[in-house]
Amino acid sequence: MASSVSDVSVLATADQRDAYLKGLVQAVKAAVPGDLGLGGMRSRAEALLNEQAFPSTRDEDWRFTDLSAMLSIEFAVAGESAVDEAAIADLRLPETAGAQIVVVNGRVSTALSRIENLPPEAVVGSLGSSPDLSAKLGERLAQASGSHEVFTALNTVGFQDAVVIWLPRNVVVETPIQIIYVSRLQGNPAIVQPRCLVVAESGSAATLVEDFWGNSADSQFTNSVSELWLDANAQVSHSRIQREGAGTFHIGKTVVTQARDSQYVGTAVDFGAKLARHNWEIYQTGEQTTTKLYGLGAIANTQHADTHSLVALSHPHGTVEQEHKAIVDGKAHSVFNGRMAVAQKAQLTSASQLNRNLLLSDKARVDTKPQLEIVADNVKCAHGATVSQLQADEIFYLQSRGISAPQAQRLLIYAFAMEILETVSVATLRSRLAALISQWT
Amino acid sequence: MSVSVQSLVSQPYKYGFTTDIEADAIPRGLSEDVVRMISAKKNEPAFMLEFRLKAYRKWLTMKEPIWPNVSYPPIDYQNIVYYSAPKTQPKKLGSLDEVDPTMLETFEKLGIPLSEQKRLANVAVDAIFDSVSIATTYKEKLAESGVIFCSISEALQEHPELVEKYLGTVVPIGDNYFAALNSAVFSDGSFVYIPKDTQCPMDLSTYFRINNGDSGQFERTLIVAESGSSVTYLEGCTAPMYDSNQLHAAIVELVALDNATINYSTVQNWFAGDENGKGGIYNFVTKRGLCAGKNSKISWTQVETGSAITWKYPSCVLVGDSSVGEFYSVALTNNHQQADTGTKMVHVGKNTRSTIISKGISAAKSKNSYRGLVKIGPKATGARNYSQCDSMLIGDTSSANTFPYIQVQNSTAQVEHEASTSKIGEDQLFYFAQRGISPEDAVSMIISGFCRDVFNKLPMEFAAEADKLLALKLENTVG
Repeated sequence: MASSVSDVSVLATADQRDAYLKGLVQAVKAAVPGDLGLGGMRSRAEALLNEQAFPSTRDEDWRFTDLSAMLSIEFAVAGESAVDEAAIADLRLPETAGAQIVVVNGRVSTALSRIENLPPEAVVGSLGSSPDLSAKLGERLAQASGSHEVFTALNTVGFQDAVVIWLPRNVVVETPIQIIYVSRLQGNPAIVQPRCLVVAESGSAATLVEDFWGNSADSQFTNSVSELWLDANAQVSHSRIQREGAGTFHIGKTVVTQARDSQYVGTAVDFGAKLARHNWEIYQTGEQTTTKLYGLGAIANTQHADTHSLVALSHPHGTVEQEHKAIVDGKAHSVFNGRMAVAQKAQLTSASQLNRNLLLSDKARVDTKPQLEIVADNVKCAHGATVSQLQADEIFYLQSRGISAPQAQRLLIYAFAMEILETVSVATLRSRLAALISQWT
Repeated sequence: MSVSVQSLVSQPYKYGFTTDIEADAIPRGLSEDVVRMISAKKNEPAFMLEFRLKAYRKWLTMKEPIWPNVSYPPIDYQNIVYYSAPKTQPKKLGSLDEVDPTMLETFEKLGIPLSEQKRLANVAVDAIFDSVSIATTYKEKLAESGVIFCSISEALQEHPELVEKYLGTVVPIGDNYFAALNSAVFSDGSFVYIPKDTQCPMDLSTYFRINNGDSGQFERTLIVAESGSSVTYLEGCTAPMYDSNQLHAAIVELVALDNATINYSTVQNWFAGDENGKGGIYNFVTKRGLCAGKNSKISWTQVETGSAITWKYPSCVLVGDSSVGEFYSVALTNNHQQADTGTKMVHVGKNTRSTIISKGISAAKSKNSYRGLVKIGPKATGARNYSQCDSMLIGDTSSANTFPYIQVQNSTAQVEHEASTSKIGEDQLFYFAQRGISPEDAVSMIISGFCRDVFNKLPMEFAAEADKLLALKLENTVG
C-alpha cells in the first residue's frame, strides 16, 4: 500500500538515526549506577540494540508516529533530584494511603514513598532495597517476551532504579498500590527511564495504579517499562494514567505475562504529553486466562497519542475483551493498532475488540488498524472500529429536551469517555479523571 | 467430526490442460531491448515506447514489496518469457473463421464459445491467449451504439488518442513494483470505451488464458465510461497445470466520468498449484478505478479461488463529489494457497460513499489475509464508509488475518468497520444431518449462505458458476 504519510523522518538518513540511537545508548549507559549488579542483563540488551535502528515511519510499527522531532534534541540522563511533598500531595489518592511509591527522575524516593499499609509478606520498594529477591529476579526482570524491542532494550540498558512489587503465594493486598512517576529537570532536555516489575505469584491479588505526571513544557523523553507477571490464579487490576507535560515524548511499555487461570484488567488513560506511545502487550503462558483491556485517549492541540496493543494467545480457553476509545480535538492525531494473534493451540478462544474514535475538529486525524491474526479454527473473534463526529440526531434529541447544543455536546463526550473510565477501580481516581473530562471541552 | 475434514481438495483442476500450439516467443529475460522489441512487434505508436521505457527505468530503481503476508522464493525476472503469441495467428482477422481451430477448441473446452452464432448468452467476449488477444466477438453490434470493445493493441492502432489520454492516469507507471513491470512489458488486454449517455447494450467479458509454461502474463485493461454511460464487465482466468510458478502481473484501470457506472466482476481461477503447493500462478495484480466525475460509481466484485499467491487490491479513488465505490469479495484458499487481498477506498470528494464486504474462507494449510485501507481526506466532507470482513476457517492449520487500515482526516466522516471469524460448527452439521442432509451438501449450503452478500452482486450466470466453483474447491474438506 503506498504510504501517504509525509515521510519526514525518512529525510533523516538511516545513518543519522543510527548515530542518534548510539548516542542515547552511550548516554544512558554512562549514567548506570554500579551497585545493582545487573551487568549480564544490561549487556545482552545492549547487544540487541546494536542490531536495531531508531524507528522511522518506514517501519510498519511506527508508520503513523513520527519520532523525527526527537532527532534534533540531545537528551541527557536526568540526575538525582528532590521533589517537595507539596508538588505531589494532590496526586496521592486517599484509597492508596500507606501504599504509595514515588519515583522521581526514574529513582524511587524513599523520602516520599509510604508503604506502611502493606502486608509484611509482600515485597514493595526499590530494586536496590530488596536484596533477598536478587536470586529470583533474574527469571523475571527483562525476561518478558518482546524485551528486544528497541525502546524496551534501551530502558534495560540504562534504567537507574526499578520499582519492585513482589506478592508471594496467596497474598491478597487489599489496599490499592499507587506508583507516582514525576520528574524534576534542571532545564536541559533529559531522558527519564522508569522501570517497574510486578510479580503476582499464584493465587495473589492486587490493584495497581501507575500515574505518570508532569506539568512542565520542557523537553523530556520518558521511556518507561512496566513488566507484570501473573502466575496461576493471580488477579491484577491495573490503571495506567499518563498526564505528562506538554514538552514530553512519552514512550511506554506495559507487558503482561499471564499464566493459567489468571485475570488481568487494565485501563490505560492518555491525556498528556506532546507525543505519547503506549505499547501494551499481553502474552499468555497457560490456559483459561481472562484479559480485559480498556483504553482512553483524549487529546487536543497538536498532541499525538498512539496505542499499540498486542494480545498473543497461545493456549486454549482464553477470553479477551478490549475497548479503546479516543477523543481527538484541535490538530491532534490519534493512532490505534490493536493486534490479536490467536495461535493454532488457542482453541476455544473468545476475543472481542472495539475501537471507537470521536473527531471533534476538522484538523484532527485518526489512524486505526484493528488487526486479527487467527490460526485456530474453533474460536470466536470479532472486532470493530468506528470513526465519526458526534451524532447530529443524538444532539438533536437532547436539544429537544431543552439542553443547549454545547451542553449536549459535553454530555455526549462525557458519556463516551465514562464508558472507559468506569473501569478504573479506585473511586477517587475515577472521579478525578471524570472531572478532567468534564472540563475538557 | 464424522468425516475427515482435510481429504477435500481431491477435485482435479479441470482447466489444467495445455494446448499444443506453436508459439512465437522472444528469448527469456528483460532488458531495454526486450521492451523495445515488444513495442516493435506490436507496431506501437512512439508515445507507447516512451511510456514503456520510462516504466522500465522506474522499475529498475524499485524494490519488490515485502509487506504482504505471503512468502515465496525470490522470482528470477530474467528467467521469464515476456512475450509469447500463437504463431499461426494472422496479422488481422477478417472473421472468426480465420482463427486457428486449435485455439477455438481450447476456448470451447474452457466453456467460452467464440463462435457468435452458437452463443446463447448476450455477452461479448475478448479472448486473450498468452500475450495476445485472439478474438473479440460482437464487435459490430457494439459499434452500432458507439461502444469500442477491442484488444488494447488494436486500440493503440485505431484509437491511439484515447489510449494516450487515459493510460496510466489511474495507475501511474511507478505506482508499485509490479505495476511498473507491467507498464514496461504489457502485451495485451482489453480496451473498452463507452460514449456519452450510452448504456452498453450487452455485458462485456474478457477471458484470460496462460498457455506457455515459461511465460508471464502481463495484461492491461482500460475501461473508460464517459458521462452518463454504464457498463458491466466480466473477467475470467485459467491456466494449465505446470510444476513451475508463473507470474501474472496485470493492471486494470477504470475511469468513470460524471454519472457513469462501471460494474467489474472477476472470477479468478488460475491454477493454484497441487496439494503440496507445487506450481501455480503468482497473481500480483493492480486494479484501480477512478470515480472522476460527480455521482459516478465503480463496483468491484471478485471471486478469488485460484492462484498459488494472490496479491490484489481492487481500489476506488473517489474524486467526484457524491461518487460511490463498492467492493464485494469472496476469497477462498485451500492447500498451500496464499491470498493477501482486499481493497482501498480513497475518499477525496464530498459526500462520497463506499461499501466493503469481504468474505474469506481458508482451508487446509492456506493463508488468507484481508488487507484494506479506508482513507478519508481532509476535504471529503460527509464521507461515509461501511466495511465488513468475515472469515471462515476450515481446519486448524489454516490462518485468517485482517489488516484494516482506517485513516480519517475529516471530522464529518463516518467510518465503520466490523469483522468476525467463525467456523463450520459440528452442531451446524449435526442440525443438517438431522434433516437428512449429507455433510458435503451441508457445507456447501453453509458456504453459499456465508457468501450470499457477495454472490448477489454477481451477474446471474456468474453467480451460479461461483457457487458451484466454491463447492467443488472445498469438496472433501469437511466431512
